[in-house]
Amino acid sequence: MTEATERFFESLPARAPEVLRGRVAGTIQIDLSCGNQTAHWLVRMRPGAIEVSRNRGPADAIWYSTEELFDRLVTGRAQAIAAVLRNESTFSGNVVLFLAFRAFFPDPPGTRDPREVARAQTGRPR
Amino acid sequence: MKDLISILDGNTFLVCDRRGDIEPSLDFPTGLFSFDTRFLSTWLLTLDGERLHALSIDEAESYRTRFFLVPGEPTHYLDAKVSVIRSRAIGGSFEEELTVLNHSGVEMEFTARLDIGADFADLFEIKHVRQKRGHTTATVSENELRLIYRREGFHRETVIQTSTPGQIEVSGMTFRIRIGPHDEWTTRLGVATIVYGARGEDIRATLPYGGSRSAAAIRTEQDDLIDRAPKLGCDCQPLAGAYRRSLNDLAALRYESIALGVRLMAAGLPWFMTLFGRDSIFTSLQVLPFLPELIPPTILMLAGLQGHRLDDFRDEEPGKILHELRYGETAGFEEQPHSPYYGSADATPLFVILLDEYERWTGDAQLVRQLEPQTRAALAWLDTYGDLLGTGYLWYQTRNAETGLANQCWKDSWDSISYEDGRLPGFPRATCELQGYAYDAKLRGARLAREFWGDPAYADRLEREAADLKIRFNRDFWLPEREYYALALDADGRPVDALSSNIGHLLWSGIVDESRAGRLAEHLLGPRLFSGWGVRTLADDQGRYNPIGYHVGTVWPFDNSIIAWGLWRYGFRAEAGRICDAMLAASRFFEGRLPEAFAGYERELTQYPVQYPTACSPQAWSAGTPLLLLRVMLGLEPQGNHLIIDPALPEGMGRVELLDIPGRWGRVDALGRSRTPHDGARGH
Repeated sequence: MTEATERFFESLPARAPEVLRGRVAGTIQIDLSCGNQTAHWLVRMRPGAIEVSRNRGPADAIWYSTEELFDRLVTGRAQAIAAVLRNESTFSGNVVLFLAFRAFFPDPPGTRDPREVARAQTGRPR
Repeated sequence: MKDLISILDGNTFLVCDRRGDIEPSLDFPTGLFSFDTRFLSTWLLTLDGERLHALSIDEAESYRTRFFLVPGEPTHYLDAKVSVIRSRAIGGSFEEELTVLNHSGVEMEFTARLDIGADFADLFEIKHVRQKRGHTTATVSENELRLIYRREGFHRETVIQTSTPGQIEVSGMTFRIRIGPHDEWTTRLGVATIVYGARGEDIRATLPYGGSRSAAAIRTEQDDLIDRAPKLGCDCQPLAGAYRRSLNDLAALRYESIALGVRLMAAGLPWFMTLFGRDSIFTSLQVLPFLPELIPPTILMLAGLQGHRLDDFRDEEPGKILHELRYGETAGFEEQPHSPYYGSADATPLFVILLDEYERWTGDAQLVRQLEPQTRAALAWLDTYGDLLGTGYLWYQTRNAETGLANQCWKDSWDSISYEDGRLPGFPRATCELQGYAYDAKLRGARLAREFWGDPAYADRLEREAADLKIRFNRDFWLPEREYYALALDADGRPVDALSSNIGHLLWSGIVDESRAGRLAEHLLGPRLFSGWGVRTLADDQGRYNPIGYHVGTVWPFDNSIIAWGLWRYGFRAEAGRICDAMLAASRFFEGRLPEAFAGYERELTQYPVQYPTACSPQAWSAGTPLLLLRVMLGLEPQGNHLIIDPALPEGMGRVELLDIPGRWGRVDALGRSRTPHDGARGH
């Protein structure tokens, strides 16, 4: 388990009121593999709140990833949907949960607010 | 005559030549495609080494074609001893029944050969050919050829099976056949397209609709959909034909999302067989009075994929509605940004507009309540990231210089936004119709906030902002000497002064001062913009005008349908009727199927609407056009729990009756009759 991933899961309950504003409710099991080992996380989401545990199911959806990919996702260096499209990560079950959960992933490192960039470029600082 | 034949079922489609053959093509997407991957790039039939020639083609249905063929070139009087029928259908997979008929009185021997190949090109690699990064292998067994593409975990397969044994090699199948006098030989070829996902299973195996359906199932489903649509009775044959054709095409363009397992509407064959924010919203607005059940999956998908972070590669920002979602290799490996791509400044306000319009027709308050957070986020985007320069307008500028879109409005080609003299403005740009959409979105958002979210303070604020936007817009975009609105503001806030069809969208949004609407109507129907077949994207005296330029002179049916709606909104019924009339006249030349765009030549000059060279067809928002024109002509507008019917049909249209229009009122009928010079004021 990478340190970034540990910290990511720890941060979720505090961030949930801001991130989970939709009406999504359900449980995702996240299976993170590293060699022959698989670590399990279970996240139970409801509007404005999330519970995180190290259990397996029951779940409405299962998400499979390597630890390495997940580390890139939680640090903004990879994007979840592209990873599924190239089959580096797979998902089964209620996809709405996946779409809701991905909102916890941060911006790519070093991303600037596009307004600052555009205003600086046109000489209109905010 | 058309050179290419297409069949489709959702986002699986096949484009071939008039013999039914597919030859590798580097510039146009011929082949069998599914989920943005080409699963067959070669599919070529010969008989005794000779290519075939088409006698006739039956392509009455969107998912099925039959080719009647004979060997050789048609250079001499035909006296074929043998003919071939290729009967094929598409429904997730592709099936072809190949029949060879011996017309002679003696037993004959033939060698039928089918060359088969798959390059697994991503749709985006067809315009920009590159060496594939993955590798292709093939395996052969008794009745089956399996073509396999792998790149890391990305895994696609084409599996071709034959019901009659043949000699199978990695490059095709050969059948040595012996046919008795006046007898025939047949084999059934099945081509499965496999997209491997979780646990090494075909990803569609886990979808509710299963991806693959028989031709009979497709037919039943299309018929059911068409049955649920209102019934049209009319004197005007082009209108009846276009309506029927549109319903068929809209049914055919529905596909099952690989991600969500719901039915979405693909935008257009062959380039745009996927979900677009803008296209799906405009199509939804057009079809809403007819097939409201098509709308919720689209709205929910767009809401589920709403932007949540800043991502320069994808032009993503929190609250933004997506532009384009692709499923292929270049999206997966991030060589293209479509996972999804958010480079569109109009999809976000249009999303709010659609949700409000949908509720006004259907009374589906539950969806409005469910989507409150996403709708608020969309409205917030308008005033935050959308207002890139902090001037109170919507602006766009891509942060992905390599694969992003320069123009993030519906006219998204590189040269679509220009000054009157043809110069191109710098970035960012604020095109005029974006401000109209933002204005309309705020007013509609206010209604939702007041009626469904119990937040009158927010509603008041949105209404104040909309009123303020209208005042500023009418000051900053209006060109007093020319008496129209500028196409855009440039980065310095100066007007980009070209005369364009965008002013018609402003009427639709309601941002136009009443006193100026008449002048806009005159421009839209005047000789510079109106070709006789419709309103050109750009007036014919502008620097960049080109009658066959994608967004700089062509006529777009979808654009015209929105303009007609706008003219109606400001009371210009006769002018709206002229556009309806012109569009329906044009549709006759395309067998009722309006293409994506046609050339802007003067009607007098060509007497025929010349199709834009690479126009998509069918195209969802072109198929939606006759439906919206019907709404405009019949004057259908929901008001509370009632449907207002206020017809104004163009002269010569005769009787139009639309029965069983669905909505919160149950089902109602609308009847209209055009005035003629003889019946004066009796009319409707």
